[in-house]
Amino acid sequence: MRNESENPEPLRRVLSEWRVTEPLPPRFQEGVWRKIQQGEAGAKPVATATAWMLFKAWLAAALPRPAVAIAYLSVLLVVGMAAGYRQARQTTAHWDNELGSRYVQSVDPYQKPSRL
Amino acid sequence: MKSVLMVLIVGVLLCAVAFCGFYYWGTASHRGLLNQQAPELAWLKKEFNLSDTELMRITKLHDAYQPHCAEMCRRIDESGARLKTLLTATNAMTSEIEAALTESAKLRAECQRDMLKHFFEVSQTMPPAQGKRYLEWISERTFIRAHTGMSAMGH
Repeated sequence: MRNESENPEPLRRVLSEWRVTEPLPPRFQEGVWRKIQQGEAGAKPVATATAWMLFKAWLAAALPRPAVAIAYLSVLLVVGMAAGYRQARQTTAHWDNELGSRYVQSVDPYQKPSRL
Repeated sequence: MKSVLMVLIVGVLLCAVAFCGFYYWGTASHRGLLNQQAPELAWLKKEFNLSDTELMRITKLHDAYQPHCAEMCRRIDESGARLKTLLTATNAMTSEIEAALTESAKLRAECQRDMLKHFFEVSQTMPPAQGKRYLEWISERTFIRAHTGMSAMGH
């Protein structure tokens, strides 16, 4: 080993004479690209899983605390109330318009549904 | 972890119950209106803050006006059908078409006069402020409507 590193000529000679006679396995290039893609795809879930695990760990630590739990429940309660109220306002406005139109149709012959 | 899951589920349920409760409460009065025998008159009562006595008087006026309204509808339909027949029979202005148009315009004027008479009667049954508001609203929806429609079309 020592002799070869000091004098690399024999190694060079052997390498230059070395010929690969074995053919490449079938679809070698495709296999290489697939492995590269799998490597890239495999890297992402690791990051996501870490973030998810962190979130779960935070949730598990925070939510059992009464103050956090009450705050969470209060926020959802208010959100539900506001959404329900808003939806009710939209629905009643629609019904108001509908009933107003029905009244007008009941007194205006020109706005009654056409019978022609 | 079990208690965390429990809190999460309770939160979502609470949100859903609050939504349904507020929606139910917010639409209760209108659902009551829709279940009435004459929802449009019940709506009129709510919209113009009428008392039961005022609503009763308006209902009487409304019911008395309905046969005349139906008769006007029939005449309008007849007039429209006659005009349609004349228009499909020719591609030029004829004396019959002119007469039908004049008849149609006279009918519209008569109809509007009777409607306005009814609207005045209804508005006089209401408290003055509400009567004024009713007249403005119904005029907007009936007489002024056609003009607004023309403006919207760019005339």
